[in-house]
Amino acid sequence: MPDASILDIRDVTKRFGGVTAVNRCSLALTPGKIYGLIGPNGSGKTTLFNCVTGIEPRDEGEIRFKGERIDGLKPHQVARRGIGRTFQIIRVFPELTALENLLVVTREPFETARRKAQELLKFVTLERLQHEYAGNLSYGQQKLLEFIRVLMTDPELILLDEPAAGVNRTLLNELLAAIARLRDQGKTILIVEHDMKVVMGLCEAVFVLDYGEKIAEGPPGVIQTDERVIEAYFGR
Amino acid sequence: MTSVQITGTMLFQLVVSGLLAGGLYALVALGLSLIFGVMRVINIAHGTLLMLGAYTTYWLFALAGMNPFVSLVVSIPILFVVGAILQKLFVHRVVNAPELSSLLLTFGISIFIANVAMLAWSADYRSVEFLTGSFLLGPIALSKPRLVSFCVALALTGLAFVFLHRTKTGKAIRATSQHRDVAQVCGINVRRIDLITFGLGAALAGAGGSLVSVMFAVYPEMGQVYVFKSFLVIVLGGAGNYPGAFFGGLLLGLVEGLASLFLTAQLSEVIAYILLVIVLLVRPTGLLGGRA
Amino acid sequence: MSPMVGALSLLLVILAGLAVLPFFGSGYVVSFSIQVFMWMALAGSWNLISGFTGYVSFGHVAFFGVGAYTGALLITKAGWHWLLAGLAGSLPAAALALVIGYPCLRLKGPYFAIAMLGLNEVVRALVSYFEGFTGGGSGVSLPPILSIVPVYYAMGAVAMAVTLLTYRIITCQFGLRLLSIREDEMAAEVMGINTARLKLYAFLLSAVFPGIVGGFYAWYASHVEPLSVFPLLTTITMIIMCLFGGKGTVFGPVLGAGLLSVFQELVWARFLFVHQAIFGALIVGVVLLMPRGILGVLQERYRLPRTI
Repeated sequence: MPDASILDIRDVTKRFGGVTAVNRCSLALTPGKIYGLIGPNGSGKTTLFNCVTGIEPRDEGEIRFKGERIDGLKPHQVARRGIGRTFQIIRVFPELTALENLLVVTREPFETARRKAQELLKFVTLERLQHEYAGNLSYGQQKLLEFIRVLMTDPELILLDEPAAGVNRTLLNELLAAIARLRDQGKTILIVEHDMKVVMGLCEAVFVLDYGEKIAEGPPGVIQTDERVIEAYFGR
Repeated sequence: MTSVQITGTMLFQLVVSGLLAGGLYALVALGLSLIFGVMRVINIAHGTLLMLGAYTTYWLFALAGMNPFVSLVVSIPILFVVGAILQKLFVHRVVNAPELSSLLLTFGISIFIANVAMLAWSADYRSVEFLTGSFLLGPIALSKPRLVSFCVALALTGLAFVFLHRTKTGKAIRATSQHRDVAQVCGINVRRIDLITFGLGAALAGAGGSLVSVMFAVYPEMGQVYVFKSFLVIVLGGAGNYPGAFFGGLLLGLVEGLASLFLTAQLSEVIAYILLVIVLLVRPTGLLGGRA
Repeated sequence: MSPMVGALSLLLVILAGLAVLPFFGSGYVVSFSIQVFMWMALAGSWNLISGFTGYVSFGHVAFFGVGAYTGALLITKAGWHWLLAGLAGSLPAAALALVIGYPCLRLKGPYFAIAMLGLNEVVRALVSYFEGFTGGGSGVSLPPILSIVPVYYAMGAVAMAVTLLTYRIITCQFGLRLLSIREDEMAAEVMGINTARLKLYAFLLSAVFPGIVGGFYAWYASHVEPLSVFPLLTTITMIIMCLFGGKGTVFGPVLGAGLLSVFQELVWARFLFVHQAIFGALIVGVVLLMPRGILGVLQERYRLPRTI
């Protein structure tokens, strides 16, 4: 039932020169679920994120969000339709304060935005550091800041690129709980993650990429035993 | 404008003299391209280094009567050393900084050197009157100094390519310009490569200056026009694409030569600019394709 | 709140002093002040695009030059009052910013800087080319100016307007968004910020004031020619003033323009023949030793708010 999907990627291909980074990839996400996107390094996960968010326009195929084509849109247009993302390498605005990092992205009136920003900072226990330059925060703190910055705009679909990397255990558990809560609020989440425990514990379905192609999809338990997946990860 | 019949001969003449000028652009631009490719630094002082090369040749010619083309063996090493010193003292500190730093820094160096040159040698126009006259090739006249300069420029460019492709250092320079971090991880001493590259870039500018001196006047501000032109050449050829710089140089010479048929020198500058912006927007990797 | 009140009253005292200065100061002082105001406005304008978004406008003097020619021509050929002619200098500057900014602001890093450098050369070439209209290389001469005091107030008002606008921008979301472009343009895009449009707005604002300043300058200097109103050196001077004071701050360009103008007057005038070399050394010094500028350093060390 393609109409029910919030994100529908169909036969998307992206090439860089002679290299095909994403090859006729199709995946569909149903609203209100957490999905995992896994695969070995260089299998095209981040490129696929970039295609969806408009950073690197796809060469072929269609991308639909809530039934409407979004391939060909500029990144800010994609974002305003309700897709938020984080990056594998942190991209906070280092010389803006933590609070400013949040305020800068919203389109709401200043006072409501400020209240919301402070709630979010409290939510990840960064409220004491709100006037600190983001560049002065620790790696994990920046990661959290980037995560709540996505939430500032209330996106319906959230793409997280390796949210768990570099975050300590305590913070990680809170982060995972937060992601689960977002799902309960009806948001759809697609996570690129190498930490299999995170993927298995959180995701309802997993897509596996290898050399830019989708080689498997299904519930985490099934995926784990899929031969092609094991082959992709452990060599052939 | 009076109606002048454009004949085939005239056109051919312009193409030839355009290409002759282009060979020189290619040589000078290759120097700028190397520095830009390896360090992402736009060396605004490139034209000033060219001026130093021209003065080297001028003084050797005026004081010792040295053949200007032979004087290359002096101007090239001198400028290499000057470049390496500038790199060692100043430029290395802005290699990873935003472009504003390197633009301003090299501009500061440029006006400093130009000012000192003016104090030392005055702002007078000087000329190296070595080769005069033209070779006549049927109806085509080839100015002797331009033709010889072109051939020498070509030979030097060729030598530079041989160096870049055949020697270990040359390969290291190319590797660094392709992937600085990877080169570093592979055991290339990037700081040393920067030093050699800036020296080499300066030496190419200096060689260009020596060759320019037999064609045009030598004075402290003579190099300014070459900075923008060289950058245009890089863009035409594609940043980081060194053979591209060569063809870009020839192309710029050709375009300028043909533009002079229809436009004044001022308007051909406008054309060159529009060309620059269009290429940057439409084919940021250069007409010949390079790495963005 | 008391340091705020202190700073504010200091500011008011300075402004009051400047307002009555022409009644007490000599012609030299007034004339010098006009130049300081001019540099404050120019450095502040450059700050609006380059200090905030990080896009290095390396040909910003083009807007000044276009304004200067517009002012000069409107005064001499159309008989306009200098004040109106000067203000009108903003229009072609804005138009130029729009036409050039729309394509060129897509260029990244050094490519944008070089495109802007080229723009200035092109405008200068065009002005020289249309000789019949612009007087070519010899330029346009204006009627001699009888009193420079009105120019003093006009130029001062522009400098103040630029500074107030900078303050206004920095305290609203537009300013934050411009900063986010400087910090990480792609992340800003992905967060839904229309960076292309914001850059163009900032570029427009940063072009308008040099246009006006150029118009007033034409009247003040009584003569404009391509060499005097399009030099790369003017661009560099506004950049270095902004950098020295602190780019991305409100009072950085004001401070930098003030200090360097005084420096210029005191030192360069005495060493006429080496002043370019001194300036070159100064540029190298500022870039290498204090790229954040005076206010940038203070801001970081004492955690001052962004609005200084």
